[in-house]
Amino acid sequence: MASVTGDPVTTSPPESAQYASRGRARGNPWRRPWAMEGFTWLYIIWSIVPIAIAVLFSFNKGASQATWQGFSTKWYVGRGVTSVLHNPSLHHAVIQTIVLAVLTTVICVPIGVGFAIGIDRWRTRTANGLNFVMIFSFVIPELLLAVALFLLVTQGLTFIKLGTPAEVAGLVVWNLSWPAIIVRARLVSIGRHYEEAAADLGASRFGAIRRVLLPLLMPAIFASAVLVFASTVDDFVIVEQVSSTANTQPMSVLIYSNVHGGLSGPALNALATIMLVISLIAALVGFVGYKWLSRGERTKGDVEALTAVAGI
Amino acid sequence: MSGGHVKLESLTKRFDDVTAVDEISVEVQAGEFFSLLGASGCGKTTTLRMVAGFEPPSSGKILLDGTDVGNWAPHRRNVNTVFQSYALFPFLTVAENVAFGLKYKSVPKSERDSRVSEALEMVQLSGYEKRRPNQLSGGQQQRVALARALVLRPSVLLLDEPLGALDAKLRRTLQVELGALQKQVGITFLYVTHDQEEALTMSDRLAVMNRGRIAQLGTPEEVYNEPADAFVADFLGVSNLMDAQVEPGGNGKECCQLRLGDFILEAKAGELDAKGAVKLAIRPERINLEPYETRGVNCVPGMVERLVFLGSTTHIYVRLATGSALQALVRNGGDPVAYTQGTPVSVGLPADALRVLPDPGVSAAAIRDETLGEQLLDVTSAAPSAS
Repeated sequence: MASVTGDPVTTSPPESAQYASRGRARGNPWRRPWAMEGFTWLYIIWSIVPIAIAVLFSFNKGASQATWQGFSTKWYVGRGVTSVLHNPSLHHAVIQTIVLAVLTTVICVPIGVGFAIGIDRWRTRTANGLNFVMIFSFVIPELLLAVALFLLVTQGLTFIKLGTPAEVAGLVVWNLSWPAIIVRARLVSIGRHYEEAAADLGASRFGAIRRVLLPLLMPAIFASAVLVFASTVDDFVIVEQVSSTANTQPMSVLIYSNVHGGLSGPALNALATIMLVISLIAALVGFVGYKWLSRGERTKGDVEALTAVAGI
Repeated sequence: MSGGHVKLESLTKRFDDVTAVDEISVEVQAGEFFSLLGASGCGKTTTLRMVAGFEPPSSGKILLDGTDVGNWAPHRRNVNTVFQSYALFPFLTVAENVAFGLKYKSVPKSERDSRVSEALEMVQLSGYEKRRPNQLSGGQQQRVALARALVLRPSVLLLDEPLGALDAKLRRTLQVELGALQKQVGITFLYVTHDQEEALTMSDRLAVMNRGRIAQLGTPEEVYNEPADAFVADFLGVSNLMDAQVEPGGNGKECCQLRLGDFILEAKAGELDAKGAVKLAIRPERINLEPYETRGVNCVPGMVERLVFLGSTTHIYVRLATGSALQALVRNGGDPVAYTQGTPVSVGLPADALRVLPDPGVSAAAIRDETLGEQLLDVTSAAPSAS
């Protein structure tokens, strides 16, 4: 302390100055976090720039994927070159991707919602076991599922044909966890009160689910539908295994099989860009839709919508 | 709207090895405002949930106008609930919320609208039809919940701590309104609360519950003035409890002689034929503080330990020479309170206000402090209790 006689500290500047100098040395807690900010930007650049370059070269006038020769949309819609619009295998791939995404979403989401409601209500040991199965697809390698599915539909259940039926079957199984987990999380946060209120007011069990539970689950159902859709658009491992002819190859498979030869060139970049845009639109629709559907609830809207769409 | 007679016969609910409700039997008359009062975990909400149909009873009967509805699904019972959390549907407007249950009754569309506006008028929310629940204050949401239940004209309305989430001032206002509303509609109200003031001000009759059983059943006056045991006395407001021994001197009918430390007291209320160790209870407002050295029957010397000014009254904490701590309630009239900390006084305990109660062996204070500690009583728990 400053009052102690003979203590060397007494000769140093007054206390306020001491604090100030320490403040400079250890940093003002409200200063701009330069290091963190810089690192964040580095990360953003690192992850976005390669994608941006790939997108940019889909608009190249020339056939090069490395040298910029001016802007053009010919790899998308041009005639006389292998453009996405006019090359049958390229535009088939776009259609196949969308068909798979729509079919998978339409089949997968209702099953997942039913699964979530069932497991939430049916509290037994079996239900706990199924609860684990629900996170199955996060644990097992996708390739394992894909190979197993291939063997199943070629050796066992041959009535499921390779191509679209097998692709949809695989994608539904692989993506079932999204609706199951997201809807279940929302069920837990909703609680039983609303359903009890509905039953109290005269609704039967089924009526309470239809008139109260489903509307309350809508944001989660919607978010999971978007996730299933986006994740199907991106899927490669399963569809690669069980697609049959060129007609049942979605974009991801086509890009992969042509990247080292075949239909190379900016047309592939164009295809990848279309894939990216579809996924981005799905995510955007998911975010906006979740916020809109859950309006009127006192929640941290943005963060909740973001986490729901991100599948957390 | 006819009927509304509720009879519970040996109603019991066990969850695994916990008995939440233990063979309670109650009869509620049609049109009565009946409260179940008790601390959290006493079984009052479980009882209500069984009447509503959310929990099946383990044994016993729930008779609604003579019909045992114990195993009926909630939607088949002519009772409606106002939930503590209100449970208003967030995706529906106020009017749609209120109309929700009407769709299940065969009410024509034209009449539906008039009934909704009638119900909203009854709870003074006309003009709020188009709002959503999150655009309303807590008190307004509570009223919507009430309208949503009343619009169905149930024979019994169940209310689960409906004022629990509101602030004290609003709670008082709504207490009065709710009481008036019940008289107006004439529906049986079964009201669950942990707030003794709520139960006393609104109920026609009430049951004080403790550990899954009914400790006492009666009118508010009976339960407050003539508590059956130390638990009820203590739970219903501040009660001064003292440990005493019955002396052989009394006649066991009109008067009972008791020993409290070195003093012999006379009591003329409660169980006058009790023997051995008992509890003595007296309400704070019945204690007379006299100048020190005043002699007389039931005068015990003591000392003022603390004064708590409460506006219209002052709580005076007195320590008797026997060691017991008591609270006296003194009205703040024109004269300022003449006592200060450390003033010796003579504490007069009128024999007709001194009540002999059987010793339940459980400290009611411990249970009460759990739930009511946040109220003005937290000063009491700081003072050592008589037990």
